[in-house]
Amino acid sequence: MEVLRETTPFGEASEALLARIAAIAQPARYAAGSRIYSPDDPADDLFVVVSGRVEHVLNPELRAREALKRVTRGGVFGWTGLLLGEHRRLATVSATEPTEVLRINTESLLGLLAAEPVEGGRVLERFTSMIQREFTVPALLAKVRRLSGPLTEEMSSLSLTMYRLSLWLRSPRPYLMVIGFALFLGFWYLAVEVWKLPRFREMPGLTSVVKEWLSPAPTYGLSIYTAEYYQHILVSVWRVTKAFGLATLLGVSFGLLLGWSRAFKEYVFPLFEMLRPIPILAWVPLDIVMFIATESAVVYLAFLASFFATALNTMLGVQSIDESYVRAATCLGADRWQVFRHVIIPGALPFIFTGLQISVGVSWFSLVAAEMVSGQYGLGYVINTSYMMVRYPTIIIGMATLGIVGYITSALVRIAGDYMMEWRVRELALSER
Amino acid sequence: MTRGHIVIEDVVKVYDPEGAAVMAVDHCSLEIEPGEICMIVGPSGCGKTTLLNAIAGFHDITSGRIVMDGEVLCSTASPKASSGPDRIVVFQNGALFPWKSNLENVIFGPVMQGKLARRAALDKGRAMMADAGLSGVEHNYPGEVSSGMRRRVEIVRALMNDPKALLLDEPYRALDSLTKSVMHEALLEIYYKNKVTIFFITHDLEEAIFLGHRVAIMTTRPCKPKKVLDVDIPHPRDYSVLTSKRFRELIEETNDAVHEEALKAFQAGEKEG
Repeated sequence: MEVLRETTPFGEASEALLARIAAIAQPARYAAGSRIYSPDDPADDLFVVVSGRVEHVLNPELRAREALKRVTRGGVFGWTGLLLGEHRRLATVSATEPTEVLRINTESLLGLLAAEPVEGGRVLERFTSMIQREFTVPALLAKVRRLSGPLTEEMSSLSLTMYRLSLWLRSPRPYLMVIGFALFLGFWYLAVEVWKLPRFREMPGLTSVVKEWLSPAPTYGLSIYTAEYYQHILVSVWRVTKAFGLATLLGVSFGLLLGWSRAFKEYVFPLFEMLRPIPILAWVPLDIVMFIATESAVVYLAFLASFFATALNTMLGVQSIDESYVRAATCLGADRWQVFRHVIIPGALPFIFTGLQISVGVSWFSLVAAEMVSGQYGLGYVINTSYMMVRYPTIIIGMATLGIVGYITSALVRIAGDYMMEWRVRELALSER
Repeated sequence: MTRGHIVIEDVVKVYDPEGAAVMAVDHCSLEIEPGEICMIVGPSGCGKTTLLNAIAGFHDITSGRIVMDGEVLCSTASPKASSGPDRIVVFQNGALFPWKSNLENVIFGPVMQGKLARRAALDKGRAMMADAGLSGVEHNYPGEVSSGMRRRVEIVRALMNDPKALLLDEPYRALDSLTKSVMHEALLEIYYKNKVTIFFITHDLEEAIFLGHRVAIMTTRPCKPKKVLDVDIPHPRDYSVLTSKRFRELIEETNDAVHEEALKAFQAGEKEG
């Protein structure tokens, strides 16, 4: 009974429920070195360690972040039976010391829990969090059995992805998204082609744009079937990649230095703050004088704008770091460089990625501006020449393509950020944001 | 045991931010025995954290000196101690690195100092975490576990370096009283295994008497010991001490002194910190 109280899943159960669980628990002993079960053994019982220590090794294909786990008093293992569709063990467990355990039959336990749906549900929830936290196998979570609804086996055939997809489809989010798009496109269609509102008279209509875009033989020479279309996209994407890549490299290092060294900041920051507000278009004449080749002139403009955004955010990121982290690191014996590497850089990362989100957008923005002024390819060039040659649908095609490509690059930055800051993703997930 | 003997001699700290000198610590002397839990009690803003910062090497002192195990940490001549792994601070709001897993946090000290290879550090870290009842959360990030667990991880992170002294700056301030009492017992349990000198700052008199061998009640700005109380309740202690007669007597004996200082601090309107 006391030992049940010490476990994660039963820790907060009521006395009455605990007593009933204790009544179905069978004590058992294992000598040091003996195998308790192996993978593919039938999974009938749940084990609670009373004393001693066992080693719990999960099958590699479960992708546990840490496959080996030592379980001591109060630890629970053998929870496979609680998973839908799993009747066989998923781990190898052996006693490393003389070990006393309680065996609890899974089906009887589920029976007891089902008799108290509210409390039983809570116990199962705690099993879920235990499997995630202590056994580090997020992939199994969706399979933990639920008391509400029939305990059918059908669900077990759903893979985790399907489960997540069904959750997403059941939430209002995808439908709201579709409604948002539909309203926008519908308004465009009605305003131009049905109501013929005054401001929209000269605008290309939705149908003509879509027709042109999808036409194998476009009237104005640009659609998804023409090689030229992709060449423009490719040129623009390549320019943004160069500009954004360079801006990230230099901007992050420059920002880290600004935030880290007070002397450096005093030299440079006032100048930086004076250059930053100068609009990108104001740089164009100087830019053309400096770079004879149009290619580097265009890239330079896109670089400049995104450099300022990244550098500023990185500096703010360094300054946002709580002083106690730096103190704690020094206390623990880290030298200045180690503090920089292990505290300053990761601590500034959330701000850096906010900066990169902004900067990738800004870099598209200034790229298109630059392409409209000078340049021979690229989406900005397409929009500008189409305007001059009165190819209105092509303008919209260029704009829509920019929107899509811009969205993708921004999503890529976000994904990279989530990948590098798993800690933050998990923290936010716990606070349900 | 002769490790972690801290002698604070006549330490003065004057802040002079805007030309108006403010005395934070006034000729404070205190001796902390090796392996002792010494509790420093005073109202918020009384200057007790200033004292801790001087020992830890975060701030300089104006005059006086602090000696640990015969080695002068700081003195009038060299007013700022250098921070190091022999005196580790556990911070008020916790300073586990949120971007490192609990285990990575725990092994930070020995790996940074190059004292242990990563693999050996990982083994030691796992063992120490298991000892402190923390197995299972090694691979979680600090933001994923309860605040009580975070404090425990932070103490384990400090103990990994085999420090002479732990400097705790109101580590349980933000916890609710139930979690707090669990944390107190856990701290004592860790202490009985490790017997390290503990310099513990708090404004909670019950916490101080429950945990400490001695309780130093500080005056409010400037800060110096007003009364030092020997807590004659034998260790090991558990929560039943809280309802014992002797515990209540000790509270009664000291409550007035603490209350008086709190009142002074309130009237002075000092900013907390």
